[in-house]
Amino acid sequence: MNSRTHVAAFARRWISHTAHALATVATSLALLAQASVTHADDVSFSRDVLPVLSDRCFHCHGPDESNREAGLRLDVEEHAKEDRGGYAAIVPGNLEDSELWRRITTDDEYEVMPPTDSHRKPLTESERAAIREWILSGATWGKHWSLEVPTRPEPPAADRHPIDAFIESRLAGEGFSLSGRAAPHTQLKRLTLDLTGLSPTPQDVADFDGSDQAWNDAIDRLLQSPRNAERMAMWWLDAARYSDSDGFQQDATRQNWPWRDWVIRQFRDNKSFRDFTIEQFAGDLLPDATEEQILATCFHRNHMTNGEGGRDPEESRIDYVIDRINTTGTVWLGLTLGCVQCHSHKFDPISHQDYYSLSAFFNSIDEDGKAGMNAKPYLEYTSPHVQDRIDEMASFVQQCEAEHERARQSAERRFDDWLHDRVESKPADHQVWWTPTPGVSSSEGTLFRVEADQTVQTHGPKPTQDDYRVALEVPTPMEQVSGFRIEVLPDDAHVEKRFTRDGNGEFTLTSVLAMVRRQGSPSEIPLELRSVVADVEADEKRDTKWDQRYAKVGKTLNDDARDGWTTEGVEKIEPHVAVYQLATPWQVRPGDQFVILLRQRSTHGRANIGRFKIALAAERGETVRRVDGDSPIAELVRTLNDGNQVDEALRKRLLAQYLLGDADYQAVAKKRDSAKKQLADLKNQAKPRKVMVLAEREKPRETHILVRGVWDAKGETVQRAVLPSVLDWPATQATSRLDLARWIVDSENPLTARVAVNHLWQIMFGQGLVRTPGDFGLQGELPTHPRLLDWLAVELIQSDWDLQHILRLIATSETYRQSSVASAELLASDPDNRLLARAPRFRLPAWMIRDNALHVSGLLSTAVGGPPVRPYQPEGVWAEITMGRFDYQPSVGPAQYRRTVYAFWRRSSAPTFLFDSAQRRVCEVGVRRTNTPLHALTLLNDVSMLEASRALADAVVGAEDQVVDGRLQNLAMRVLSRELSEEELAELKAVLDSATEIYDGDPKMAVEYCTVGQQSPPRPEFAPQTAAWMTVASLLLNLDEAMTRE
Amino acid sequence: MSEIDSKLGRRAFLNQAGLNFGALAAAAMLGDELAASQVERGLPHFAPKAERVIFLTQSGGPSQIELFDYKPDLHKLAGTELPDSVRQGQRLTGMTKNQKQLILPPITRFDAHGQCGALIGEWLPHLGSIADDVCFVKSMVTDQINHAPAMTKFLTGHQLPGRPSFGCWASYGLGSMNKNLPDYVVLLSRMKRGSDQPLYDHYWGSGFLPSKHQGVKLRSAKDPVLYLNDPDGFPRELRRDMLDSLASLNRHHHAQTLDPEIETRIDQYEMAFRMQSSIPELTDLSDESESTFQMYGPDSRRPGSYAANCILARRLAERGVRFIQLFHPDWDHHSRLRSWCVSRCIDTDQPSAALVADLKRRGMLDDTLVIWGGEFGRGVAGQGKWDSPLAGRDHHPRCFTVWMAGAGIKPGFSYGATDDFSYNVVENPVHVRDLHATALHLLGIDHDRFTHRHQGLDFKLTGVEESHVVDGILA
Repeated sequence: MNSRTHVAAFARRWISHTAHALATVATSLALLAQASVTHADDVSFSRDVLPVLSDRCFHCHGPDESNREAGLRLDVEEHAKEDRGGYAAIVPGNLEDSELWRRITTDDEYEVMPPTDSHRKPLTESERAAIREWILSGATWGKHWSLEVPTRPEPPAADRHPIDAFIESRLAGEGFSLSGRAAPHTQLKRLTLDLTGLSPTPQDVADFDGSDQAWNDAIDRLLQSPRNAERMAMWWLDAARYSDSDGFQQDATRQNWPWRDWVIRQFRDNKSFRDFTIEQFAGDLLPDATEEQILATCFHRNHMTNGEGGRDPEESRIDYVIDRINTTGTVWLGLTLGCVQCHSHKFDPISHQDYYSLSAFFNSIDEDGKAGMNAKPYLEYTSPHVQDRIDEMASFVQQCEAEHERARQSAERRFDDWLHDRVESKPADHQVWWTPTPGVSSSEGTLFRVEADQTVQTHGPKPTQDDYRVALEVPTPMEQVSGFRIEVLPDDAHVEKRFTRDGNGEFTLTSVLAMVRRQGSPSEIPLELRSVVADVEADEKRDTKWDQRYAKVGKTLNDDARDGWTTEGVEKIEPHVAVYQLATPWQVRPGDQFVILLRQRSTHGRANIGRFKIALAAERGETVRRVDGDSPIAELVRTLNDGNQVDEALRKRLLAQYLLGDADYQAVAKKRDSAKKQLADLKNQAKPRKVMVLAEREKPRETHILVRGVWDAKGETVQRAVLPSVLDWPATQATSRLDLARWIVDSENPLTARVAVNHLWQIMFGQGLVRTPGDFGLQGELPTHPRLLDWLAVELIQSDWDLQHILRLIATSETYRQSSVASAELLASDPDNRLLARAPRFRLPAWMIRDNALHVSGLLSTAVGGPPVRPYQPEGVWAEITMGRFDYQPSVGPAQYRRTVYAFWRRSSAPTFLFDSAQRRVCEVGVRRTNTPLHALTLLNDVSMLEASRALADAVVGAEDQVVDGRLQNLAMRVLSRELSEEELAELKAVLDSATEIYDGDPKMAVEYCTVGQQSPPRPEFAPQTAAWMTVASLLLNLDEAMTRE
Repeated sequence: MSEIDSKLGRRAFLNQAGLNFGALAAAAMLGDELAASQVERGLPHFAPKAERVIFLTQSGGPSQIELFDYKPDLHKLAGTELPDSVRQGQRLTGMTKNQKQLILPPITRFDAHGQCGALIGEWLPHLGSIADDVCFVKSMVTDQINHAPAMTKFLTGHQLPGRPSFGCWASYGLGSMNKNLPDYVVLLSRMKRGSDQPLYDHYWGSGFLPSKHQGVKLRSAKDPVLYLNDPDGFPRELRRDMLDSLASLNRHHHAQTLDPEIETRIDQYEMAFRMQSSIPELTDLSDESESTFQMYGPDSRRPGSYAANCILARRLAERGVRFIQLFHPDWDHHSRLRSWCVSRCIDTDQPSAALVADLKRRGMLDDTLVIWGGEFGRGVAGQGKWDSPLAGRDHHPRCFTVWMAGAGIKPGFSYGATDDFSYNVVENPVHVRDLHATALHLLGIDHDRFTHRHQGLDFKLTGVEESHVVDGILA
């Protein structure tokens, strides 16, 4: 066993806390004694000098040859020190002769560097001092810290957990020390949230005694939980910019979700990060690649795709190649490669040529730049995770069917009573259609004359196009408006005695809108139209001078003027009629004015309706779907007046109409219909899915440097090559994507392991050791604990890239277990907590807040994998940005309570209940934590949060414990993992009391509040109590403590 | 002059005090978060002309040939092929690259309007009524030929999603003037037509800036802002009680942890509560006079219409919102200009003109910058058979027109010129990034010095390529 593997072995044994291991390690570490390249007692080139040169000088004197001033580069030692005709930028040991020193210190505004007009900050005193020291001490050159191969530094104290040793060593230097351990319940809550995204259960808290044994057991239990795999997958999906839609143009839906499940399986199996990487880059190129390994490569197809009509697919394809490179840079290498698309890197040693050589690995994918379901190459993949979901939904459908049947029977009884009343009362007459006096106006000047029977005749000007606005006082007897009819009438005075006063006598109606204006309000409420039928429509294939798109009456329902209704080509001159049905009948209040807008904006023009008549109806269903003006109720009245019996056919039609107006029945029917539809969708998802994956073309494409990054500005040809400044491999060793993958996870690659452990640190501490997780380059932040980062990186490599091993290492440190309470002094001197003298305290990601609310309330479904689900979103959020092309229907049944990792992600409209989340357009590895009123509104009013509150309320209202204090402690244990203090109890009781008072006084309101999401109304006698407890539960879920790690 | 002085006065005091804690403390002492956030970034760089921006975004690419850029001589060339000397290898979209580029002359009549005699296409009669207040920039240029990248560029300065949009930069730099409303509000026209160009939320996204700067969409729905309304059956007084207890419990926890983030959270919950009244007050138009609705046109009575959103824009401006952005979709007229383009003109013409006139009569046009425009223009060649009524026009990036009005913009003026084909700019080109630089300038910001560090780079709205304030359109 060589000493390096010995150390790795140590670290693993450390966790088992064997004294023997401690002793072994102390000796072996002593043998290792290697100084970190990033550590120096005095001035360090990579820490103190290089970042300054990079920030202030490299922009014009760096790797980018196209922007290089005076032929000088300061990023390469030979250039910086070369004789430039009697002087050099840097002369080691000699300040006077170093031109650089003169330029950064001169008062001469024309000579000073950086130049005043560059808007780069002048050097600070301490930066100058560092450069001075460095030049005087010999100007020793080195690499940027992250490009040196990490070697395992010796932990500063042999008898401490290595992580603590590094952290404490820095703290001691600053006069601080670690805080004491957090309270046991705080530790457990922190650990459970970090590893699973969910709180511990009250039982977990009760079982945890704070001992090291219990702690280690908890870590093992949590790491083995499927919840951990889901939590880790969420990290990876953000980095992978995973989405269920394309993101551009029509934002078409994709079928890549089996890859998401693949990711979860890898974390479940704790797949080595090495293999995890290789399979995602090149699973298809592995010998005898399995289906799963090919599936893995979907990672590099998760980019956005653009199928915009006018776009050159090749331009899109180049975009995708570029996206893969940039993603690889950010996610694995911590390099901001994006800028190198257009020019050599201004700061880091990566040239334009390096970039395109790297892109060559991705340039021969057998893709053609198309989008939607034409984005080959695909893997036809049948997911193993669908059948369970089908079974679950099928059983939910059964429940819904049974419920539906009961609801139908009781609605039918109500109907029979209604019918009975009608038969008994024998009404003499029934008016189906009402024709109030219209007030008509025109946007372009047409004049109108209203005749005695409310027919409107136009006269006066004949504009090419015109919008008519028809306002109708709703007649008093009408309680609701279910639809309206427009009769288009011929007239002898019209052209050819037909329908218009202009053109060829034929009319064209392009759009119809309906609104209601309430008395006293200046605004008009738009009403949604569900359907329209006409007595006759023009033949779309007719021979016409007009655009044939003008034919069908259904086209008047959209806002598109390029289509619409006409009866052109129908020879016979007779009145025509169109009947519109409202999506929901309008409930009339006195003084309501019904407004109908007839838009006539056809391409051909001169087709405005000459004569028309409008009527309103109140009956639902059939009545506003037929053109003859009759209705089932009218038929019933006639039948009764004729002394006939109601036959079965008429009874059926009457029942159908009645059910449409029965709210209780409709609610149940709607749920059943959604469930049936979602079951059908699921069955469809069980078929092979077309998952976008990688596959090489037979003949590789030539790769060019793209001048200024423009897709068709092809420069010189380049060959596949890895980044030489990161880890130089000969061309012969790096010829395929598989080679690229192996290069990335090569143990000599200085970046990958550091970047990976930094991500894990970020998961456990909210921030990485490098706080710019996507930039380990010169412009990124330096690590707060460089030697710890290196130690962990080496540990990762030597543990065969075992991610759980690193997570376990972190979790077993005192640094992780310490309290987050900070003294004012510590807060003032280290507000960003870079030293880690306290545990961090940070708000949970929005997805975790949602998942955890479902979890603590007992609603959460623990099903793993399967097709995307749709958590609640406010109505219309998809429709409004796509002008109605996409409609969002929340999942029903248990599917509603799945974890957010399974939620459908539409790129053009990210889930509204998430805030500060990655946007999944390009890869994201950082974290955002803002604090805005919109977040507050979301957590107060999102249906998921309310439903969780209701479920929590039910849990205590239904519990045996009737004592208020006990109930409050029960809720607190679930939501906060701790008991409340007397003071807190008093505060909550005050809210409970005022809520109880309010709801006792208005039980109906209580029922309304409690009936949320899929929750059924509470029994009336329990309603006020449930509503009051729901208020308290919602309050608890909105506590800072509940949405924060502790 | 004195007005500018007084505007600069207090800020200059803060600026001159230097970007040090003294100034920050002074600002804080004034109880003025706005000043504090500006001082932190050293903003404004100079006295602003505009306090706010109203950006009337016309998504899809309105046709400058039918509406603004009068080229009568094209009638003589109707149906002839566009000379290569004009096209100069300009890329075409996939929709027309395989058809001959035959010239379709403007199908509108142009009339002279106002004292300035601006020539405007007949489909925009109301715009004529404010011609003397408007500056037409006829020499706009972009480098993107497809919608999403071009709109992303138009709004964020870069063609790929991920950068903050203009409004976010304004919010980030200048902060809020109203504690009860967001700094950046977005209004989408409600339309029933499955559009091929969704209005992606990155158009108003904050990119790498803190997400509190992102545009907040004001919807014409039950919840004007997502999650604004308390649930049914939850009375306002109970919400108040609940928030009081919430704050008290949070303070209790703060005393134990000293985490300053908790105090912020308490404040944010309080602002959420205030928004629950300030937003409905804002969106309820019942206090608007009848003449307002007549001025903005009949559509203005219909919530969600562009016209109603124009009234809301004025109300937002009155309430101190920094950046107000309307989106009207469906200007992508590949065919049937006579019905398609006309319809979008009807939707937008009267309300856009009314908004400018309304701001003017209320004395707000002096410090409000209004911008009207889309992501690119349309080509001179007909798409489809040029002489058919079904003809339309394809995308065209090399020239398009936007108009601006208000704060510091030269009124009754036309800037820049295109060639005889409305194809290439021949005088005073204004790139999209120059438009950004100019608008920032009017807000008192030097675009070159207004940066945000992200991933080690100093990003700015105008990007890496050179951009200029267009002095020629400044009053």
